[in-house]
Amino acid sequence: MEKLMRLIKDLSQIGGVSGDEGAVRAYIRGQLEGHCDMRTDALGNLICKKKGAKAPAHRLMVEAHMDEVGFIVTGITESGMLRFDTVGGIDARVIIGKPVLVGPQAVRGVIGTKAMHLQSAAERDEMPQVETLSIDIGASSKEEAESLVRLGDSGVWDSAFVSFGDGFVKGRALDDRAGCAIMIDLIQGDIPFDTTFVFTTQEEVGTRGAQAAAYEVAPDVAIVLETTTAADIAGVAPANQVCRLGKGPVLSVMDKGTIYDKGLVRFAMDTAKRRDIPVQIKEGVYGGNDAHAVHVSRSGVRTLAVSLPCRYLHSPSCVLKVEDIAATRDLTAALLGMEGPAPAL
Amino acid sequence: MDGKKLALTLAQCYGVSGDEQSAAHVAASYLKGWGEVRSDALGNLICTLRAPKDGGPHMMLCAHMDEIGMIVTHILPDGFLRVAAVGGVDRRTLLASPVKVLGREKLDGVVCSIPPHLQRGDDAKKIPPMEEIAVDVGLSFEQAKEKISLGDRVVVCHSGAAMGEHCISSKALDNRAGCAAVIRAAELLKDEELTCGLSVVLSTREELACNGAKTGAFGLCPTHAIAVDVSFALTDDAPKEKCGELGKGPMIGVSPVLSREMSDGLIRCAKDRGLPYQLEVMAGPTSTDADVITLTGSGVRCGLLSIPLRYMHTPAELVDVRDIESCAALMAEYIIDRFGGTEREAD
Repeated sequence: MEKLMRLIKDLSQIGGVSGDEGAVRAYIRGQLEGHCDMRTDALGNLICKKKGAKAPAHRLMVEAHMDEVGFIVTGITESGMLRFDTVGGIDARVIIGKPVLVGPQAVRGVIGTKAMHLQSAAERDEMPQVETLSIDIGASSKEEAESLVRLGDSGVWDSAFVSFGDGFVKGRALDDRAGCAIMIDLIQGDIPFDTTFVFTTQEEVGTRGAQAAAYEVAPDVAIVLETTTAADIAGVAPANQVCRLGKGPVLSVMDKGTIYDKGLVRFAMDTAKRRDIPVQIKEGVYGGNDAHAVHVSRSGVRTLAVSLPCRYLHSPSCVLKVEDIAATRDLTAALLGMEGPAPAL
Repeated sequence: MDGKKLALTLAQCYGVSGDEQSAAHVAASYLKGWGEVRSDALGNLICTLRAPKDGGPHMMLCAHMDEIGMIVTHILPDGFLRVAAVGGVDRRTLLASPVKVLGREKLDGVVCSIPPHLQRGDDAKKIPPMEEIAVDVGLSFEQAKEKISLGDRVVVCHSGAAMGEHCISSKALDNRAGCAAVIRAAELLKDEELTCGLSVVLSTREELACNGAKTGAFGLCPTHAIAVDVSFALTDDAPKEKCGELGKGPMIGVSPVLSREMSDGLIRCAKDRGLPYQLEVMAGPTSTDADVITLTGSGVRCGLLSIPLRYMHTPAELVDVRDIESCAALMAEYIIDRFGGTEREAD
């Protein structure tokens, strides 16, 4: 578990906004050298073929996305401020006052607005439009800013990875570096059947990497390793909490992109029960993930999503519970031992 | 002394209003070599570098060391914390922020943020009122009760960093930047022959009606004072007439409540010595410690210097370190001009 947590910590400190996942991929390649056959495809997906003890009766693909939500520099003003847009779904309410790192040199910046003292009463209660915000890197002129940052550079929140409370961790980009870390951990060990693992790109801008990867791998069965929104927080009624930290991996039956394979969900439930691994069903039809692209690939792929319950997704402070990470790894490992296609229901 | 390091070190200390001891402790470590350091009943840190002669002038340099933050008011049944604002917290910056809960032990936490999928209509634009803000410390009710007391302060973390060539960004630069300027001025003056007494007050509770400076000034009964605080530095979205500019020097306050004689003296000194400065004109009270210092006892002549700062009352406050340095230099030069023991040649 210590090794897995170190992987998650390392990965959460690497910037990899959608379309700019190179640094994450390089780190993963370094971890997997000698453990599998690796190939990077045209869209930047890292496709890893791992030999198992036996050849399976079906072709299994396990995947997690490398990219994260973030920012992209769209302009530099005369006063040296960076104009930006968000990449992926970012709640405007988690941007102001946050420190960021911009570009390959990780130039430090902050996103600010005028002081509250200069705001009207109405302004204090309403989020400004993202288009009106800028990133301040402490440059006093356009020239100074241009010497540090280029248009198109990515930005990420600067957020420390921290353990806190009763077995929780907080960090940036745990969506979906936690899924990537679990896959690295599995590939570094022995597995029962030949399996293709894919670290995908561009999930946050429309599950684009997964679409190309699923076509290439052409799996019969796919498992998407993800994080999913947990709203088990103050002020949210139990019926709206979706899933809860500490209750194990989350199995989706339906979200905004996918209706999941009932047979696989049943199989995963039974497997968890047999292995005494806690598991929960996602309550509510929200969000979406790479399954959206994978399950409609070619003539269709039976697809399952196994997700870590995660608070404050798409913010600088994603929160996971360590015991959920362990349980998700254990359940995924158990699912790799699928003897043949689970019975369709 | 490295001004950048001094300001960042001070800014990274914890010191929400009424709970300033950590910041005071670090600030005292700089001052204690230059004079006796003491504190009063409200926690003000007071250092007298040079005692005034009986009935003689006594100059007090004052900067507040408290910072805005939050205070734990309630532990919810599921272990989340309800908090109230201490000082003017910009609620637009709170959601999903990393925080420290400053109880007997320092605990990490995150400000709860309702995820987008539960938002309806215009919710994404609305900023929740403080009553709906909660802090996630990853503890059950029982665990939280064990480790956290009502009244514990909470601060939003920001690791603090140098940015660009001259800037730094951190939480609490309002007003640790001012504290740094006052400490630097004290360093510049510590060996000067002066005809006045000289004391430094790093005041508490400024963010709540400047209550610290009231007792700090009363205890010293100075004849003159210079308050140092931060003021608005121009950003693209702010009104130009209410802002100074980063890197253009301290803003000399001009206001009916300040000593016109001292404002003019500071301006004259800056011009004479070739120090950068800007003016900050206010039509009444200044919302700084100067407002209460001027009314101490039978009245105190008081000037105000403000360091331009962007993003006030957010965790990402930003200043140009050169403004701290030139603010310190202006204070020192002004005091030497006015109370120097030996005549100086006019430049």
